[in-house]
Amino acid sequence: MTDNTKPTLVLEHVTKRFGDFTAVDDLSLQVRPGRIFGVIGPNGAGKTTTIRMIVNITIPDSGRIELFGQPMKVSLQDRIGYLPEERGLYRKMKVGEQLRFFAELKDVRGKEADARIDRWLEKLQLSDWKNKRAKELSKGMQQKVQFITAVIHDPDLLILDEPFSGLDPVNVELMKQTILDNKGEGKTIILSTHQMEIAEKLCDDVCMINRAHKVLDGPLREIRRSFARNAVALQIVGGDGLLNDPALVANTRQHGEELEVLLVPGANPQILLKRLVDAGVTVNKFELVEPSLHDIFIEKAREAA
Amino acid sequence: MRKFLAVVKREYVQRVRTRFFIVATVLGPLVMAGFTIVPGMMIGMKSGGPTRLAIVDQTGKMSARVKKELINGKQPDDDEEQTRDQPPVGNTNRKEQINQAARRFHGSYQVEEVPLNGRTIDEVKKDLETRIQDRELDGYIVLPPNLLETGEAEFRARNAGDPFTSNYVRGAISAAVRGQRLADARIDEKSVETASQPIDLKTFGSGGQENKGQAGFYLVFGVGFLIYMSVLLYGQVVLGAVIEEKETRIAEILFSSIRPFPLMMGKLIGVSLVALTQFAIWGVAFVTFSAVVIAGSPIALPHIPPTLFLYLGVYFLMGYFIYATIYALVGTMVTTTQEGGQLAMPVVLMLIAGLFLSFNIIRSPNSPLAFWSSMFPFFAPITMLVRIVTETPPFWQIALSLAICLATAVGLIWLTSRIYRVGMLMTGKKATIPEVWKWVRQA
Repeated sequence: MTDNTKPTLVLEHVTKRFGDFTAVDDLSLQVRPGRIFGVIGPNGAGKTTTIRMIVNITIPDSGRIELFGQPMKVSLQDRIGYLPEERGLYRKMKVGEQLRFFAELKDVRGKEADARIDRWLEKLQLSDWKNKRAKELSKGMQQKVQFITAVIHDPDLLILDEPFSGLDPVNVELMKQTILDNKGEGKTIILSTHQMEIAEKLCDDVCMINRAHKVLDGPLREIRRSFARNAVALQIVGGDGLLNDPALVANTRQHGEELEVLLVPGANPQILLKRLVDAGVTVNKFELVEPSLHDIFIEKAREAA
Repeated sequence: MRKFLAVVKREYVQRVRTRFFIVATVLGPLVMAGFTIVPGMMIGMKSGGPTRLAIVDQTGKMSARVKKELINGKQPDDDEEQTRDQPPVGNTNRKEQINQAARRFHGSYQVEEVPLNGRTIDEVKKDLETRIQDRELDGYIVLPPNLLETGEAEFRARNAGDPFTSNYVRGAISAAVRGQRLADARIDEKSVETASQPIDLKTFGSGGQENKGQAGFYLVFGVGFLIYMSVLLYGQVVLGAVIEEKETRIAEILFSSIRPFPLMMGKLIGVSLVALTQFAIWGVAFVTFSAVVIAGSPIALPHIPPTLFLYLGVYFLMGYFIYATIYALVGTMVTTTQEGGQLAMPVVLMLIAGLFLSFNIIRSPNSPLAFWSSMFPFFAPITMLVRIVTETPPFWQIALSLAICLATAVGLIWLTSRIYRVGMLMTGKKATIPEVWKWVRQA
């Protein structure tokens, strides 16, 4: 399998311009093998352009891309599985034939290709649709067919651009599980998405791109820790006055039933809990809040704006 | 290479299996036959039975001859010459066929003589007019007493605007008058006919070889027409294939798996094979059909050297390929097939320009114009063929023109694939030429 010490993918000072518009500016990142690498960022940030450069559809104006320890070249394309953001299938072609064609384009052919197609169709609960034309499928089904085209050649690197869009909750779970299975097989996965809750649950590492620049990069756990704001989510009855101590509480915000209490930096949340309990306040919920990826995303996007 | 073949296979199999292809292949020849035969039949169709004519003969001796000419369908002079122009092979057969066709075209005639019986000509005319009004008669001919001297006769018909009938009548009277004049001069009609037989001019090239230029020339036009037809039919298919991939965004997956050049080449070859399959089916059908229908009556097939067939085939493929690539190129720049068709039209008109040029070239096949136009890849498929059948140029010129054609086709595909790769990443609007130029440099 993949060598665990060397990164699967390296981008060094990669820049791509379209005319006067700089889509990606001096981007450097590393994707480690066997991990799920999340690429997040607002629309138009340069995610898709970055991915297209990785799969060798466009070529960077400057900078270097290295995949599996080699400079990017055409022959490496067969080791990548790519699910583009904008899906496309031949509308009039039957699902089975379609998959067969895409498998052949990735140099998988003959009985081997047929066996893999059947296995994947079964896994994604599409076996009954093998002889239907693509246009007869629902959007979610097309999505799953498209996913199969990305994995049919058993690639070492899987790049998924918004893999969950258009899927119902059941299929989202199925897709998540499939992605995790792939990770379990030692594959490296790059996941680009807007859906922060999913990224939060799946990704090991995260890179955030905004306006062509990288604004964040690193293991998800470390990022969240660095954004920890010493906040507590509270659900209490009575004891309102206790929260007015400026030496302890910096700010409070009401979110429905819940109260978000932002403590003064360095303050110990346990002191607050003790005071509440001592004052006889009913504490229904007391939770130390780590910032969600969503919060970090919004904060970073605002910062840049 | 295997990926390239996968693309070719997909394009071919997916298209050949469509109902549209099967229907077009079966109906194509029928429609074409319909277009050639039906109009002829419609013109020839004579509604309401034979044309009823009356002859008022004031000369007293001409009516029998005129009647004979009218009924026997002896054709007006021009038709007669066409008949004689046919090659001697199967001559009688041929002549008979043409006469038959002409009779069908002119319809049949019912002729009656109306004697004066002491009435004045005006009374007779008045009487005949009434009969025309009553639809008992379609028209009448008045042969005045001095017909043989003045050569003037009168034809009145309900439908005086019908040029076919009046021409026919004129021809019949002329023939009758000529026959009578010869008889009056005591000259044997038969020997005059023999004496008037036109000569047969055999044309030879200066090398002493009999020149097949004429037959070859028709063939070249046939090939030109075939290129034009196939480009019109299958150019649209190429255009649609490119646009479909752009629209459905399949292109993005394709480009992540295969390089643009083999992809584009594969598409073009796949679609071309579909076209060739269709033409082959039509060709076989046509040959079988002709063999069955014309069996027994040998049609003088012009003798054509096999090398010429080779050139015809090669230049047909070249021409088709170059122009089909134009459609692919256009497809990369536009978003709908309608747009694409409009954009490709000016280029396809060059094909027609090539056909017109060949009229000049056939008269001076070694002029500088002939040379340069046969080196210009958009004209060469037709102009070089014309030169080959008239005055075959040195082989190096043929080879050079083929090389230029091939380089053009490959160059166009290369350019197309570059534009395709960048163009498919841009969505939603038609590209401008400066944009396209930027894409070419960017890719």
